[in-house]
Amino acid sequence: MAPDPRGHPRAITVGYNLLGIYGASVHLAENMQSRRQFVTGEPLMEEAILRIREVSKHFGGVYAVNGVSLDVKEGGICGLVGPNGSGKSTLFNTILGIHRPDGGNIYFNGNCINCLAPHQIYALGLVNAFQLPRLFYQMSVLDNMLVAARGQQGDKLLNSLFLRRKWQEQEKGLIEEALDILELMELDRWAFSPAGELSGGQRKLLEVARALMAKPTLLLLDEPAAGINPVLGRKMFQKLEDLSRNGTTFFIVEHRLEILFEFASWIYVMDRGKTVVGGEPEDISEEPAFYRAYLGEE
Amino acid sequence: MLYVLDLIVFIGIFGILALSLNLEFGFAGLANFGKVAFFLIGAYTYALLSQIGVPFYLCLIAGAMVSAAFGLLISLPALRLRADYLAIAILTFGEILRLIVKSESWIAGGDWGISVSPAIAISGGSHRVDVLVNIGLVYFCLLICFVIAQLLANSPYGRVMRAVREDEMAAEALGKSRARYKAQVLMLGSAMAGIAGGLYAQYLQYVLPGMFMPMVTFTVWIMVLLGGPANNWGAVLGAVLVTLFDRGTNIAKDYLTLPIDPSNLQYILFGALIILVLLYRPQGLLKESPIKTKALESVKRERSVGKGKGS
Repeated sequence: MAPDPRGHPRAITVGYNLLGIYGASVHLAENMQSRRQFVTGEPLMEEAILRIREVSKHFGGVYAVNGVSLDVKEGGICGLVGPNGSGKSTLFNTILGIHRPDGGNIYFNGNCINCLAPHQIYALGLVNAFQLPRLFYQMSVLDNMLVAARGQQGDKLLNSLFLRRKWQEQEKGLIEEALDILELMELDRWAFSPAGELSGGQRKLLEVARALMAKPTLLLLDEPAAGINPVLGRKMFQKLEDLSRNGTTFFIVEHRLEILFEFASWIYVMDRGKTVVGGEPEDISEEPAFYRAYLGEE
Repeated sequence: MLYVLDLIVFIGIFGILALSLNLEFGFAGLANFGKVAFFLIGAYTYALLSQIGVPFYLCLIAGAMVSAAFGLLISLPALRLRADYLAIAILTFGEILRLIVKSESWIAGGDWGISVSPAIAISGGSHRVDVLVNIGLVYFCLLICFVIAQLLANSPYGRVMRAVREDEMAAEALGKSRARYKAQVLMLGSAMAGIAGGLYAQYLQYVLPGMFMPMVTFTVWIMVLLGGPANNWGAVLGAVLVTLFDRGTNIAKDYLTLPIDPSNLQYILFGALIILVLLYRPQGLLKESPIKTKALESVKRERSVGKGKGS
């Protein structure tokens, strides 16, 4: 059997995962991890909300993500940049549980989340907005928002029938919140129109708005400003910065570097499935590895 | 007159079936092409239990529960298969069940079926009284199913069902376990179909495999597609129209009380009807009903008032 990148036969982890003994599997992986930390030589950030260790994901023979390790500090905006095809979106999808990592571990708030389903990861407060909006196009804009709210009473079968008063009361509050976010995104005029009637940029805004509706602890945004007019894009980032002061952390992939570098407190650069460098925006903009990633070897 | 009363009973039974398919397909997007399987399970459960003297309401509930259990079972492949493969898998499931009860005569008389005692027998009553009692029973069940479907459709649960239909991966990424929702919807839909099956068995007072041809499934599909998916009124309207159409075509020939007469002309007419609906009115006669909750409605009203002042 091919050895696992973690250094123990894969069958053991898979077996534990199948049995649902997450604790055991995490413990096992963590033992391996503590040894490996020195290998990667990266200091462990104390206050990191998201820790990614040696994560790999390959499709067939192509390593889309190849041994990525990084930390996202709690609070603030953390950026992830890199040329197209460098593995940013795959890394995001792996964090979210849409892809299962082929190796390595992902910790959110200290818990290993490799083996969780997307909806379980969402319940922990790790939410994302897709790069290409995946809205519920036949539903109204407001309904799109309301689906995303966390901790709803009425989205369970029996509650929706028998606890009507309870969820009706809750929904009143949720609608107010949703309208506030929509107003911010300049979408409130369309609240009752089907999401399918929105323009491309508005769909993008709704995708971000919907993710905000979940009041996430950590929000992954994949190119939130792409296709949105520059003024509104900047406004959106300003709002995200405001929110980040109230305890939401953002991890953002963005090609509009001028906006990202203005607002982010930390930037990672990815190239060919690996993180090549990480640091504060001022340092990164002087980093030769950053230019090499975008412009290629000179 | 008796013919009309009989027609009313059939509309009620098929109305329940259409509501259940509408819940699965219209709201949650599950292509259940095996509706007849759960109809059959409900009918046979009713028949077998009523033979050993279980009271009718327990037979109906048991039929719904057994049906729901099979619905849960079928939801396991439903999570792994794409919609079109799921349709084939469930279609086959229905046929397999029918062939099993047909060839295993120890279950319920095989090809000949077994007779079923009516739910409420009034001594000395005429056939007309029996039918009237049946209308009451069937429409009581239809009303319950309709109210449940309507309450679900206009709740956060209905919102999630529609979200799963639109984009199940996005719904999953927004914290809705599609496995749970699909399983629950299939269970609920199957339970309704099971009740319809029980009512059908006790009304006709016999069950036999020939009553559960795949055509029953397609008839229910036509009802939902014609009436308008994701609209409960549409499902009932579809049931009324298709049953009338079905009877209308039958009436030309004779007065058989079987719902489906496998005559070729009828198949052709049904096929043409589907094509016409999908060509000229793909959303069905009634449009998808938007989610209506108290809070949503009051916000909507406020806004229209505000707009009126503004203009």
